[in-house]
Amino acid sequence: MAGICLLSVRAVAAEKYDSTVAFTLSVGSDTLNPEKVRQLEEVRVHGFSPDRFMVGLKVQRIDSALLSAYQFQTLADFLQYQSPVAFKSYGSGQLASIAFRGTSASHTAVLWNGININSPTVGQTDFSTIPLLGFDKMAIQYGSAASCVGTDAVGGSLLLHSEPDWKQHGLNFTAGIQYGSFDNYNGRVGLRFVRNTQKGIQLSGKTLLYGSRFNNHFKETERSNGKQTYPMEPSETRQMGLVQDLYLKQKNGDYVSFHLWLTDNNLTIQPDVIQFLERTQTSASRFLLNYQWGNTNFKTAFVRDIIDYGKADFLTPSHSQTDRYIARAEHELLFKKTFVPGQTNLKIGGEFVHYVALVDGYSINAIEENRGDAFVLLRQTFSSRLTASINLRQALSSKYKVPFTPSFGFEYLVISKTDKKLKWSGNIARSYRLPTLNERYWAVLGNPDIRPENGFNKELGLNLEQNLSEKLSGNLGVNAYHNLIDDWTYWNPDKGYRVENLQQVLAKGAEFSLGIKYQHGHLSSGLTSQYAYNHTSQQRVYDAYAVDIVGKQLIYVPLHTLTNNAFVRWKNWFLNVQGLYYSERYITFDHSGRPFPPYFLLNTLLSTSLKLGKVQGQVNLQANNLTDTVYPSVKKNAMPGRNFNIGLVLNF
Amino acid sequence: MYFKSPFFKFLTLGALVLVLNSCSDDTTEPVPSQPFDKGLFIINAGNFGDNNGSITFFEPTLKMISYDIFQTQNTRSLAGGARDYVEVDGKGLIPVDNMTPGKDLVEIVTAGTFKSVGTIPSTEVENPRYVAKAGANKAYVSCWDTFNEDYSYKPGYLVVVDLVTNKVTKKIVVEKGAEKLLVSGSEVIVGSVGGDKTITFINTQTDAPARSVEVGINPDLIGIDANGKLWLYAGGELVKFNLSSKTVESRIKIVSPVAGKSAGNFAMSKDKQTVFYVNSFYDPADGYKLKGETYSFGVNDATVLAIKPFINRLFTGLGVDPSTGILYAGFTPSYKQAGYVIRYQPNGTLIDSLKAEIAPSGFFFK
Repeated sequence: MAGICLLSVRAVAAEKYDSTVAFTLSVGSDTLNPEKVRQLEEVRVHGFSPDRFMVGLKVQRIDSALLSAYQFQTLADFLQYQSPVAFKSYGSGQLASIAFRGTSASHTAVLWNGININSPTVGQTDFSTIPLLGFDKMAIQYGSAASCVGTDAVGGSLLLHSEPDWKQHGLNFTAGIQYGSFDNYNGRVGLRFVRNTQKGIQLSGKTLLYGSRFNNHFKETERSNGKQTYPMEPSETRQMGLVQDLYLKQKNGDYVSFHLWLTDNNLTIQPDVIQFLERTQTSASRFLLNYQWGNTNFKTAFVRDIIDYGKADFLTPSHSQTDRYIARAEHELLFKKTFVPGQTNLKIGGEFVHYVALVDGYSINAIEENRGDAFVLLRQTFSSRLTASINLRQALSSKYKVPFTPSFGFEYLVISKTDKKLKWSGNIARSYRLPTLNERYWAVLGNPDIRPENGFNKELGLNLEQNLSEKLSGNLGVNAYHNLIDDWTYWNPDKGYRVENLQQVLAKGAEFSLGIKYQHGHLSSGLTSQYAYNHTSQQRVYDAYAVDIVGKQLIYVPLHTLTNNAFVRWKNWFLNVQGLYYSERYITFDHSGRPFPPYFLLNTLLSTSLKLGKVQGQVNLQANNLTDTVYPSVKKNAMPGRNFNIGLVLNF
Repeated sequence: MYFKSPFFKFLTLGALVLVLNSCSDDTTEPVPSQPFDKGLFIINAGNFGDNNGSITFFEPTLKMISYDIFQTQNTRSLAGGARDYVEVDGKGLIPVDNMTPGKDLVEIVTAGTFKSVGTIPSTEVENPRYVAKAGANKAYVSCWDTFNEDYSYKPGYLVVVDLVTNKVTKKIVVEKGAEKLLVSGSEVIVGSVGGDKTITFINTQTDAPARSVEVGINPDLIGIDANGKLWLYAGGELVKFNLSSKTVESRIKIVSPVAGKSAGNFAMSKDKQTVFYVNSFYDPADGYKLKGETYSFGVNDATVLAIKPFINRLFTGLGVDPSTGILYAGFTPSYKQAGYVIRYQPNGTLIDSLKAEIAPSGFFFK
């Protein structure tokens, strides 16, 4: 009831720098009884965790120690061992696109500090171009979260965050290098600082320059396991990036932060023969200014994506440049009754994005388009056991109609003991994906009238956390989902590859997760294991031959996925073993021909830290694909065999 | 709605060899001594980016189908798209077009077993297209070479393959986008798609161009008819060519009630009196859906009307069995699912259909 009563709240002008703003509430007939006047306080909202309103959705936070141990990896290499998502890789260091819960590559929103960084032209992210060094924290959100995140969050979203370490005072330098098989190397230098002024203002910053060069000097020209032989593809990848974060925080918690992330990637196929050479050069410039004032947050951002693709001497590559100007304002209210459990979080906000695209393949020279979003997110904690949320979002466009995307979620602690918690959760949500600029503007094949895709996701989860003893704890989770996506776009070969809203796809499945942690003195060890069953199929019969397709698992999506991480930490030693299993993947809609066979990959990482005076060092030894598994890329070329990396990171 | 025909009920997923129809009364049929001695090779182009071209083998008497026979015989796939398959003195040649430049090759197999006996490496062939016999143990393979950076064609070439050593002995520069090859006595005729207007005659004794004759842009070679005339489609019209005088005898425009159609996928009947072809266009009135039908004309016709279809369907490849005259037509529902081959009597009566692989586009009969 309290939530409804809030409508009559009369806000008392609050002092700007008072972190607690008081609201007085008169509740109907209770007004007559002064003793029953209840106090509601709007409380400062600390730490803008992005998933606050994603009630009932599965959100997996990645351990920052793990992020640090694998800091030289790209998100493509790292993520597939953390989560049962499927990657479609075109080769080592080449395009890697994601299939999250069986959806397409453009159905995963990738948010960098809250800003969607999927390429506006193709509507997806190439995960081989996102190194882990670009951010400090990561969470994986499963299922549709369009009401919180916006477009693309149909199968899931990845939340990448920059975060200062306020506890680490002073100035710290860092330098690292990694060298590995096939003449592949990585390097980075950077600094971090935290300074406290006398007025209680805190300053923090991070500057990081990184680069990598994958020469891929494979010894073999093909790889075979006796049953199947795949050729190796000569390729070379160079990546460079600069990360700059700056924070200025006031005593009351208000802060301004500035984030810059420049990336430059250069992929060359057939680098040694000029006449065969094929080069893709992509760069992204991302600027974000974030201003937190009380419970109000303003974001302004500029993102520029450039893709140049060319052959041979690369004199006249095809060029694509898209700019996004983003402005977002959010205000969050938190209401808490003094004497009663429970609280209400209400967030209202809006976002405006202006697109400017100059793409060689488009029929119009310079595209300009505006897109907007308005949202209301409500989270109600009824008790320590029950929380629910209702979120509403309406994306707006002058060019097309975007579906209204509400969601409802709940979380209920069935068992709530100190040593045992059983959480039951559920979520039902509408989602959408706005058309990509290619879909709208590509000359001849694009379709200005293409509709946004829309999804309807329902899911239920059970999660058990238990402390089995003082040393041993575990968790067990199961999530089941049913996600129907309509107006799925298809570049239809029947119409010369013109794009249309043709298909309807049903993704349904279940995920099981197991986590065990053991801690005793200097020894700690743990296991996280995730299995996913993912059935995704086309539902609509749109021509006579679609009967060969309907109901069949989509291409490149494995029905079964298993990922494992097992670690042992003893004093300054750390050993992690990763395993990955993909069941067979079809490469044709009708499952004709030979599917990609199932495969298993096994990686290990051994790391130790050492101290030399003021210098703290870390040595990493990585062995990947230990079983020397032969498996193909999407282009049916061989992926790399057993390989080793040695890395050294120094902090001082 | 032939996909509902009883034939399809025999099709089961995963089986490499299917026995179709009841074979109880076929017991007297001789068993071939080698798996691919006699029958039809269906050339499935594959989907370009997926590098998944393949060859399907079909034995029409027993109605046995074997899928992706190169893979089953060699534990590796054709690493690219497949455009052609031709046999020369007991060996078969398959030009393979990988999406990565510098990874193309020509696979050479023993004809009866399809076991690989050699490859012409990527250093010798780039964008290999078609194969022709050019003498005893000798084949020509036409190649586009790599594209220029603006995707225009470089001069094409033929490689001369010695099938005793399985090595390239010579390279002959020809028109841009060198494409189909046709054997005519001691000469091989070269068609092209790269914008040139000539056809070139290569003397197979000297492996040198004997002469080039202008016929019209992008000459697509159709075949040599019962009267010994060469037919081709160049500059958007049919061209009848006199092989003795090496001159154009006549040009015939295909009359169609729908503007903007273009003709392709030509095949000649068993008696070389009739030409079958597909006339197609992207229909702007229907979301640019690719539409078209299959027509035919007689080699003695003075006019060619594409009005009443021979078969009211669109195909990605046509072929005629030289022994039975049966017309084989490849149908591609999409480049991500198996296509079908539909069989017709020479008069156009539907016989049956069979499932092939991705984009059935060509046929080799033996």
